[in-house]
Amino acid sequence: MEFGPIWRALQRNKTSYVLIALQIAVTMAIMVNAINIIQERSEQMARPSGVDEANIFYLTSNIFDPEADVEAQIASDLDAMRNFPGVVDAIASNSVPLSGSGWSEGIRLEPDPNLESTGIGVFFADDHGINTFGLNLVAGRNFDPAEITWHDYESDTWPPLAIMTRAMVEELWPDEPYENAVGKTVFVHRTKPVQIIGVTERMQAAWNSWSGVERSMLVPEWRGSSFSRYVIRTEPGRRDEVMPQLEEMLAARFDNRIVRSVRTMEETRERSYLLDSSMVSILTFIVIVLTAITGLGIVGLASFSVARRTKQIGTRRALGATRPAILRYFMLENFLISTVGVVGGAIIAVGLNMWMVEAFGLQRIAWYLIPGAMLTLWFVGQVAVLGPARRATTVPPALATRSV
Amino acid sequence: MLRMQDVSKIYRTDTVETHALRQFSLQVNEGEFVSVTGPSGSGKTTFLNIAGLLEEASGGIYELDGRDVAGLNDSERSRLRNEKIGFIFQSFNLIPELDVFDNVDVPLRYRGFDAAERRQRIERVLDIVGLASRSKHLPSQLSGGQQQRVAIARALAGDPRFLLADEPTGNLDSQMADSVMELLTEINGAGTTIIMVTHEPSLAERAQRNIHVRDGQVFDGEPEIHLAAQTA
Ligand SMILES: Nc1ncnc2c1ncn2[C@@H]1O[C@H](COP(=O)(O)OP(=O)(O)O)[C@@H](O)[C@H]1O
Ligand SMILES: [Mg+2]
Repeated sequence: MEFGPIWRALQRNKTSYVLIALQIAVTMAIMVNAINIIQERSEQMARPSGVDEANIFYLTSNIFDPEADVEAQIASDLDAMRNFPGVVDAIASNSVPLSGSGWSEGIRLEPDPNLESTGIGVFFADDHGINTFGLNLVAGRNFDPAEITWHDYESDTWPPLAIMTRAMVEELWPDEPYENAVGKTVFVHRTKPVQIIGVTERMQAAWNSWSGVERSMLVPEWRGSSFSRYVIRTEPGRRDEVMPQLEEMLAARFDNRIVRSVRTMEETRERSYLLDSSMVSILTFIVIVLTAITGLGIVGLASFSVARRTKQIGTRRALGATRPAILRYFMLENFLISTVGVVGGAIIAVGLNMWMVEAFGLQRIAWYLIPGAMLTLWFVGQVAVLGPARRATTVPPALATRSV
Repeated sequence: MLRMQDVSKIYRTDTVETHALRQFSLQVNEGEFVSVTGPSGSGKTTFLNIAGLLEEASGGIYELDGRDVAGLNDSERSRLRNEKIGFIFQSFNLIPELDVFDNVDVPLRYRGFDAAERRQRIERVLDIVGLASRSKHLPSQLSGGQQQRVAIARALAGDPRFLLADEPTGNLDSQMADSVMELLTEINGAGTTIIMVTHEPSLAERAQRNIHVRDGQVFDGEPEIHLAAQTA
């Protein structure tokens, strides 16, 4: 309605308004891109690891006696743990998902070292692996106890069987249903054949930022050295109770080793995403602070603009402006400034994102972030201007004749 | 017609009470050109503000165009100001960031006229004040006299019944003041009632009737200046 004259008046006072519009634009560009990063990180953090995180903990057993019969000691430990009250199952493995350190191999469809290989995370386990991690076997079968081998450090062997994640087999055979992978043979360690006997729905590898994090396999082998890692799954809700008891029990069983590094799977996830979650917190904080500063900037500018124009407001009142008309004037004026800001902000936001996609491989911004941020900043602007605008409505019409 | 009966206006601050108007009674008829004179601080502006609904009287009766304005709310007073009254101020009170056209447009927009009607009215009044060619100029690009003409155009654009002017020539040199006076006389000749506050006796003389204010009251004593011929 009054857009025309308000817009023309703004243009004659450009300098004071361009800065705030620019501030709105920059706020919007940062807001949109920060939210984009927050979304990306949050999506990554939200990915399930595929294991029963709430009820799993793990620890290391370090045998310092060079004469010890490691294989027998592990077998005995496993037996004791599996029969411990509150424990569902336990295995000796090398690592757990998201722990940051693990074993990886390259898988080839042919025994030809010149071919490209597909990386995969390796978890050594016996027939209790699926149950201990709480994996969902969606095709094929589990290992048979007879198929578990003890790794002999003298020989260069690799177990001939594997249970792989669905993501892995779909990477190898993208055009086939994952069930077809069961029975197929692939090659690890350049030339060693491995037959896929089962497919699990999901099990993340040890590295959360690796693009192949969803690709992993269980290998039927005990790789006990003097250093082994036990993974224990408890009955739901009993983890914290069982953890110290089991540690004590293990420590008491043999005095030739040290039990340490007792850690829950939940803690492991937390540590794994520490950088991401602090990034999310920091960016959220920045967005809030920046929006608040912009809001305060608008309050300041609007207050100044009302103070500077008291005589004009009085004159407008004398010429017949009602109080709502004065309020509307400042709201509309702010709306126009904000519009310039958010339109500029949309352009800067997209540009910034294109650069970040290019430079850091960041994801594209979701389309709704732009209108979302525009609406937010329009709203912030209107709220910010409300106070000064209401003060403007209190300027008495008599000011027109009383002020010089 | 404008009628005041025993109107009073008291300004109260924490420490002082100023009786700006007391038992102020006056009647201005349709088509009159009335000048209001009086010493500084006598209440001339207060009278004009009450007459123009910029302020409310503390007591007494005020009828504007036959309507008792007591008890009207702020919006009703605003609308009445917009429709029936045109203001001319000593310091012009043009809006500095709007050009001549947009300045004259201000009260018309509050009136709710459509764009075509506003344009037609603006062109007509700018023609009357002789500034049709300056419609895209900013106030700062005009002389004082021209600015006051724009203000007169703005006051006239809504076809008000009353034109209220507070020292309209106070900021102008005598030549410019003269031409503004001529313009006002012309406008009055076309039927608009004018009430003009001035402290220049020579200008006051050019009105049909002079009201002298002293200590917030219409002064009944010796008229200090000669009154122009009374009209019926
Ligand atoms: N807002 C106000 N508050 C207090 N006193 C005021 C106010 N406005 C005017 N007055 C006082 O009222 C009296 C009349 O003022 P005014 O009508 O402006 O006189 P004039 O226009 O004749 O010079 C003066 O004494 C003035 O100081
Ligand atoms: Mg005065």
